[in-house]
Amino acid sequence: MQPVVLLISLILMAALSAVCVLAVRASRGPAPGPGANAKRTGLIWAMTILGVIVSVASLREWPHALAATGDALEVNVSGGQWWWDIDTTEIPAGKPVTFNVTTEDVTHGMGIYDDDLTLLTQIQAIPGYTTQITYTFEEPGSYQILCMEFCGLAHHDMVNEFEVVAVEE
Amino acid sequence: MSTASEPVASGCAAAEPQAGAVKLTMILAGAVFVLMMVFGLIMRAAQGQWIELDPALFYQILTAHGAGMVGTAALSGAAILWYFSGRHVVLTAGIFWAFLGLFLLGVVLILGAIFIGGFGGAWTFLFPLPALSGGAWEAGAAAAFMLGYVSIGVGFLLYYLELGRQTHERYGSLARALGWNLILGREDNNPPPPTIVAAAAVTIFNSIGIILGAAVLVASLVHLLVPGFEVDALLAKNLIYFFGHVFINASIYMAVTAVYEILPEYTGRPWKSNRLFAIAWNAVLVFVMAVYWHHLLQDVVMPPWMLVVGQLVSYFSGIPLIAVTAFSTFLYVRGSKMTWDLASSLLVLSVAGWSVGSIPASIDGMISVNKVMHNTMWVPGHFHTYLLLGEVAMAFGFMAWLVRGKTISEMGGLDRAAFAAYLAGAAGFVTVFLFSGAASIPRRWAVHYEEWLTHDRIGTAFSVLVVLGTLVFVLRFVARLGRSES
Repeated sequence: MQPVVLLISLILMAALSAVCVLAVRASRGPAPGPGANAKRTGLIWAMTILGVIVSVASLREWPHALAATGDALEVNVSGGQWWWDIDTTEIPAGKPVTFNVTTEDVTHGMGIYDDDLTLLTQIQAIPGYTTQITYTFEEPGSYQILCMEFCGLAHHDMVNEFEVVAVEE
Repeated sequence: MSTASEPVASGCAAAEPQAGAVKLTMILAGAVFVLMMVFGLIMRAAQGQWIELDPALFYQILTAHGAGMVGTAALSGAAILWYFSGRHVVLTAGIFWAFLGLFLLGVVLILGAIFIGGFGGAWTFLFPLPALSGGAWEAGAAAAFMLGYVSIGVGFLLYYLELGRQTHERYGSLARALGWNLILGREDNNPPPPTIVAAAAVTIFNSIGIILGAAVLVASLVHLLVPGFEVDALLAKNLIYFFGHVFINASIYMAVTAVYEILPEYTGRPWKSNRLFAIAWNAVLVFVMAVYWHHLLQDVVMPPWMLVVGQLVSYFSGIPLIAVTAFSTFLYVRGSKMTWDLASSLLVLSVAGWSVGSIPASIDGMISVNKVMHNTMWVPGHFHTYLLLGEVAMAFGFMAWLVRGKTISEMGGLDRAAFAAYLAGAAGFVTVFLFSGAASIPRRWAVHYEEWLTHDRIGTAFSVLVVLGTLVFVLRFVARLGRSES
């Protein structure tokens, strides 16, 4: 997902930057005509309609939806300064996994990375709460959990790993 | 100078005695901006393994950089708003001095907490981290850090009380100052100028933000003294991010008054309040307070509707910014035959930078995107865009205007070089952050993996350019200040 997000962002940022440059250059040109405010109204409507479409499309399926009960393998992860404890070291590929995440001290962020150091998903670990997230690992291999919420002196050392293994049908 | 409405005669006179306080504030702000940028440069160089930095010191510098930049953005924004509000209402000079004194007291406490006490809990002081340092700092250091925030917050409340009081006195009510007569189509023979609309809105939302911030600061301080006193961590996080989000946004919304008041000198077209402008500012008033949930999109125990509001408002906040503020700026500029000196160039750049920075911010505000971008380098990527190329550019533009003199002339060679270095450096710096975010590099890590070093080193090189450009802006301001006052 990240390359797509980057590409869309850079295109939109470049487009808006180009509009800014053109507007600056237009300081030497003619004054705005009577239709300028109609253009602004059009822009407001265009941004509103785009916003509604994107919002509906991106929220129609709840991004934090959990797998149906009984469907998923449950894995408990607890964090503390500065360690992660996972109660399962091998997770089957192709099967939804629900992580139950807790912390013993401060707020941490459980980020799951693949072997190429790409962030797949994440969730906050909040003192006093159990947070849950479901993820399905498609590829067998080594995965890491990195801390995504600043938690003190050894925040960058708060790393653990687990294996995703192929399951024979 | 043309303004949206006739300034009160006494208001103009009242602004003069405070120009000295505002200039002093901008010297301090400029100096701290330079120092904080050097801190940023050090951190990027350390992540790129070009220099060695103990992680404990890295996180102390991170804390100082965050608190220092947010505080200085707010300080410079407050000085700008005070200066231009003084054209429309009579403000008491003593209040500004008290505000500045409390701010400096806060700075001393914060710097002492960090570099003497070793506090490195980040500017967000996320509960209960200040009390659980793992041996890195004592409770006293955390308490000093938070008392520094309290001191700054009290100063800001005094500031807003005075601004709100005088605005109310001059315009009859904050509702009128917010342009409600314009919105409702009622006759108003003295509509509030843009600066006053901004002042009224910021006074309301930032006062609320600071009061809620004070609540969580006091709770955290009590927790330090009495560890048995527990605060719900999720509630504390909500309060902290409400305060933090509103406070940093307020700094931009205060500083934008420099655009409203200064650009008309160049374009010859007064920036007037109208119905759309008033609607936009009233929308901002609501949006700024409703959008902070986008910081908690991965706190899945939050009520889902709050996360949905966080996503929606993240996007729709862009409409008043892009379709009103940016669109109007470029409409005023178009065909104006304006002169591009350092002040006008920085001010127009600031509106562009702020608008462009809202794009990656809105995209990160989508819950599904946030799952893979939250707390990666994408986040400093977008907020550095609208701060470095937005608020900070506004502050430097205001500083350049303060010492411009009466004649407007095109940029000289040094100004042009500094502007180009700042723009190229900042644009490159933030773009590298965005690439790093897309490469999943987590933010706030003192030590980086080998795979990430190229990003860090390119970012470091760009940050050198930013520091160089900033140094010229600030030294030029100080040098010309003496000349303009002589």
